[in-house]
Order: sequence, then C-alpha cells, then structure tokens
Amino acid sequence: MKKNELMKRAALFTAMAMLTAGLTACGSGAESTESVSDTADTTVAEAAAEETETSGASEESTVSGDFTIGIGQFAEHGSLDNCREGFLQGLSEEGIVEGENLEVTYNNANADGSIASQINQSYVGSGVDLICAIATPMAQSAYAATKNTDIPVIYTAVTDPVAAELADAEGTPVGNITGTSDKLPVEEQLKMVREILPEAKKLGIMYTTSEVNSESSVAEYKELASDYGFEIVESGISTSADIPLAADTLLNDVDCVTMITDNTVVASLPVILSKAAAKNIPVFGSEIEQVKKGCLAAMGLDYVELGKQTGHMAAKVLKGEAEASDMSFELIAGASFYGNTKVAADLGIELPASLTDSAAEMFDTVEE
Amino acid sequence: MNTIILGIFEEGLIYAIMSLGVYITYKILDFPDLSVDGTYPLGAAVTAALIAAGANPLVAFPMAFIAGVLAGTVTGVIHVKLKVRDLLSGIIVSLGLYSVNLRVAGTANVSIFSKDSIFNNPIVNAVFPEGIKSLATVIILFVIVIVCKVLLDLYLNTRSGYLLRAAGSNDRLVTALAKDKGTVKILGLAIANGFAALAGGIMCQKQGFFDVNMGTGTVVIGLANVIIGTRIFKNVSFVKATTAVIIGSIIYKACVAIAINCGLNPGDLKLITAVLFLGILVISNMKKERHKKNAQA
Repeated sequence: MKKNELMKRAALFTAMAMLTAGLTACGSGAESTESVSDTADTTVAEAAAEETETSGASEESTVSGDFTIGIGQFAEHGSLDNCREGFLQGLSEEGIVEGENLEVTYNNANADGSIASQINQSYVGSGVDLICAIATPMAQSAYAATKNTDIPVIYTAVTDPVAAELADAEGTPVGNITGTSDKLPVEEQLKMVREILPEAKKLGIMYTTSEVNSESSVAEYKELASDYGFEIVESGISTSADIPLAADTLLNDVDCVTMITDNTVVASLPVILSKAAAKNIPVFGSEIEQVKKGCLAAMGLDYVELGKQTGHMAAKVLKGEAEASDMSFELIAGASFYGNTKVAADLGIELPASLTDSAAEMFDTVEE
Repeated sequence: MNTIILGIFEEGLIYAIMSLGVYITYKILDFPDLSVDGTYPLGAAVTAALIAAGANPLVAFPMAFIAGVLAGTVTGVIHVKLKVRDLLSGIIVSLGLYSVNLRVAGTANVSIFSKDSIFNNPIVNAVFPEGIKSLATVIILFVIVIVCKVLLDLYLNTRSGYLLRAAGSNDRLVTALAKDKGTVKILGLAIANGFAALAGGIMCQKQGFFDVNMGTGTVVIGLANVIIGTRIFKNVSFVKATTAVIIGSIIYKACVAIAINCGLNPGDLKLITAVLFLGILVISNMKKERHKKNAQA
C-alpha cells in the first residue's frame, strides 16, 4: 500500500517534470535572446543613444546601436495588424531596422487581460528598451507594468488616451508613456455622408457595449449629427452572435449605416454588408480596410499611416532625442477619402467628383 | 529576470485569493461554480467605481467582497431553491453579471491610474524606500493572501465550517444534524464568490483599470490552480489544502510566464492549459483506480 502510494506520487512528479522540461526545452532558443538583452540592457541602449547624439545627423543609413523592443498587441485584428506593420515601417524610416539594429519580440494577448499583463511583465523582465502597446487595454497594462521602471511605452490605436488616464486633459502624458490615438474624424465622415446622400435622415451605428472606444465614438456622432441634419440610430450588441438580428432590426429603421472602429462589429462586417446590400442600404466604413471589403466610402484612418507616425515617435525616444513623458499624444494628421466604385455602381449611387478627385485611394473591386 | 519572478508572484498571489474561493466550491462542496467568471470582474467593477468616485482604496475591499457574496448567494438560491443544475446556475449568474458589471462601472473600461490604490499611496511610498519599491506590491499581496488564508482556515474549523465540509463529502450527516444542506451550500457559494470578487478588486487596484472582459477564463485558472496545488501536496500532510492552492496558483502563473518567455504564441496557451489540466486529472484518476483495486485485493 505505502509502496504503491509512493510510486503514484513519483508518476505524478515525473509528469510534471516532463511538462516543465518540455516548456524549458522550447524556451532554450528564446532564452539565449533573453540573456543577450539582459547584458545589452539599458547601458548599451544609453550608450547608443549618446553615440547618436554625438555623431549627429547621419540619417541616411541605419542608426548605430542595438535596440530591443517588445510589441504587445491586444487582439488579432486587421487594423491592429496594420498598426504594427506601420510601426516597424516608421522605425525603419528613421534608420532603426528590424534584423539589423533592432530586435523585436512580438506577442498577441488574444483579448485576454491576464495574458496582456504577463506579456508586459515579461518585456519589463527581459529589459527591453521600449514597449509598443497596441490598443487600449494593452496600453493600460503596459503602463501599469512599467510604472516603477524607466522603460518608455509608446502606444497606438488608443481612441481616447485622456479617458484611459494615459494623458491628462491637455494631452500631457501621465508618465513615461505616449503614442497615437485612432480617434475617428467624425465630423469629416458626417460631411462626406451628407455629400454623397443629400436626402438621408437616419444614420445607423452598431457598436459593442463592452468597447469603451466605441462608446465615445457613438457619443461624438450623436453630438455632431444634428449639425448635418442626421438622426443617429444606435444599436448596441454584446457578442458577435447578436449581430445578424441586430443588423436586421437596424436596417429596417435607417437610410444608411456608418461603421466605427468597433472590434467585434468590424470582425462581422461581411454579415452586415450582405444584409444591407439586400435592402440597398449604403454602409460607410471607418477605415481603408472596410472600404476594400465592400463599404461604399470612408473618411477615415489608414492604420498603416497611424503606425508609421507612431514608429517615428518611438524612434525619437530610442535615439534619445526626446523623452516619452515630454511628448503629447498625437492624432493622425488629416482624414482621407476612400471610395469603392464597384459598391457605388451596385447601389446605383454616384460618388461626387468633389470627393473622388481628392481621394487617397479608390477601389473598383470587393475583396472577399 | 527579477521582474518576471516578481510578476509571477504578483499575478499568482492575486489569483490565489480567487482560487481559495474555487477551492471551497470545487473541492469542498463538489460544485463546479462558473459564476466566478462574473464575480471576479464584479469585484473589479465595484472597486473601480468606488475609487473613481474618490473612496478610500481600503473601503473597496469589503465592498468588493460583499458584492461577490451577494452574487454567490444568487447562484446558490438559483441552484438550491429553484432547482437549476449546478453548472447552469453558474452560467446564468455570470451571464447576468456582465450587464451588472457594465452598470456598476458605468463604461466598459474605467481607468484609476490617477487615484491612490493600496499599492500606490503616500503611506506605501513612505514605508518602502525607492530601492525596494518594486517589492512593495508583492509584500502587500503576500500579507493580504496570508490574512485571507488564515481567516478561511479559522472559519473551516468553526461549527459552520464543519457543516460546510460535511455538505460536500457526506450530506446525510448534515441532514442528520437537523441542518438544511441547501443553506450550507448557499453559504459556501457566497463565501467563494466573495473571495473571487475580492481578488478581482485587488487586480483592478494593481493594474490600475477595470475592463469588462477581464473575467474571461477566470474559472479555468481557478480550477487549474486548485487541482495543481492539491494534487502536488496531496500526501504532504503538513501542507494545508489552502496553502497548497496558493502555491498551485503561483506554479500555474510560472508555467504561463515560462511559456510566454520561451516565445510560445499566447494564443496556444489555452490548449496547453487544457492538456496540463487533463494530464493531472488523468494521473490522479489512475491513482484512484489503483486504490480501488488494492482495496479489493
């Protein structure tokens, strides 16, 4: 009896040990990078920063010095992926190129808050030179993780940094953290919808009640709608399973629909588009990707551009030209027009030349 | 590297408080309580709302606990009085709490960075000098966890605590003692969810914000912590079950941290957790089987 007991315990321990061994084995590769960044740590980064300062303007080539950054993205999502891509492009435009003088660790929290905080803690632990946080919860968690350190955080795709308490009402950062906001150009969008649809009265918006970004966008739409003669019809959902029914109800009641940067709703865009097409109701997008997928038009953001702008800010911090705590968060400079002529033809709508002439990009197909 | 270890302890200790609750329901009452997914963020919502309104961070503790107790009571009443199956009553309550949490917090995401918390206030900053400030959070959490553990241990040794333990393992005894086993169950669920909400509130103070989705998967983490802890220390008689649960919680978070640091896609973590989970359960089942065989032989 006793002997058996012991054997079973041994079996359990072996299993646990094997598991840990498995985990560490798969870690051996990454551990080496960790030790590198440990030694590199702040001293090298500081030295590098000083070097660039003294060597002056050698901007055409890559900046000397090695940088390690951690990118934490809150969820897998087209716009956010574009942000990340743009961010790395922005850095390389400033001479900080991945694989040459930049080591990038990327992790996605898949919308799990507890994993988000562990990702940021692991970045802090491995002593990265900078953390890039994509989307609001990731930025908040990165700020919490770096509070007692001197690691700067650069965020992007945070709609309202003031509401998230990452900046005060004047836009000054609350700590060593700054970045870019993806606040929608609501006024420009309303102006554009009015120009395309002079008769429309009711503008529908669908949003997820759990997304604080969406809430502030909807509030802004409501505030400005009457200036352009619109009445906003809102439809709040709690999960993507609610979308088909909510779309049916909403489409019965409105003349047109506008998308906002709501993660859940955007992910189900095809459902809404096909239902709207059946009723011949135009759907406006909030960024380039949505117009590609079949929204009529958008006065919106290009997340790659937003990412680039963020990358430039990060480069300044890495090179030691500025402290994150001294830089106010930035909005994307100007909204641009995106239109889809295929969708317009299907709806029997002609996009006014005043808009198409200044379009950033026009599409004539619908991406499946 | 040190920060990673500190991080593991910070996260592990907070989830340990929640796991003490899951230990009561899952181990003692044999009740798989899914309402934890709702009560954990409920505690955070209450805490965020109170602190944003200017309340003292310490006041948020009992308030979060009470909110959890109320929600746990609802689960208990649905199960015991309305005769809804255990899993379903938990699902119903956690579903409903989503809306409650939104109402309580006001919006889906509330930041309290600018406010004092138990981890960041003038007193803590004065007590812990700059050099060991990074340890402050772990030390404070450690004290809270020990207090919770000791209180729970003391409670389990009271008359009411004995009844609670009896309700799970031998409910006829409870009836024989002329006590209502339903009431005992409700009481257990109330305390368990109180702990879960308390943990959520502490997490909210530590991370500086509330997010309505922060509860997703809490119950799985709780179950994993309880199972890992109690299995490892099953035959180590001097380690109390409550201590084992706390250590299990830290081990679990350490595994997650190792996985992230070795470059594993965090998206795969849930699968790894599931496999780890299953592995431990299967091994412990094998042990039971052999026990039976031995008993027969």
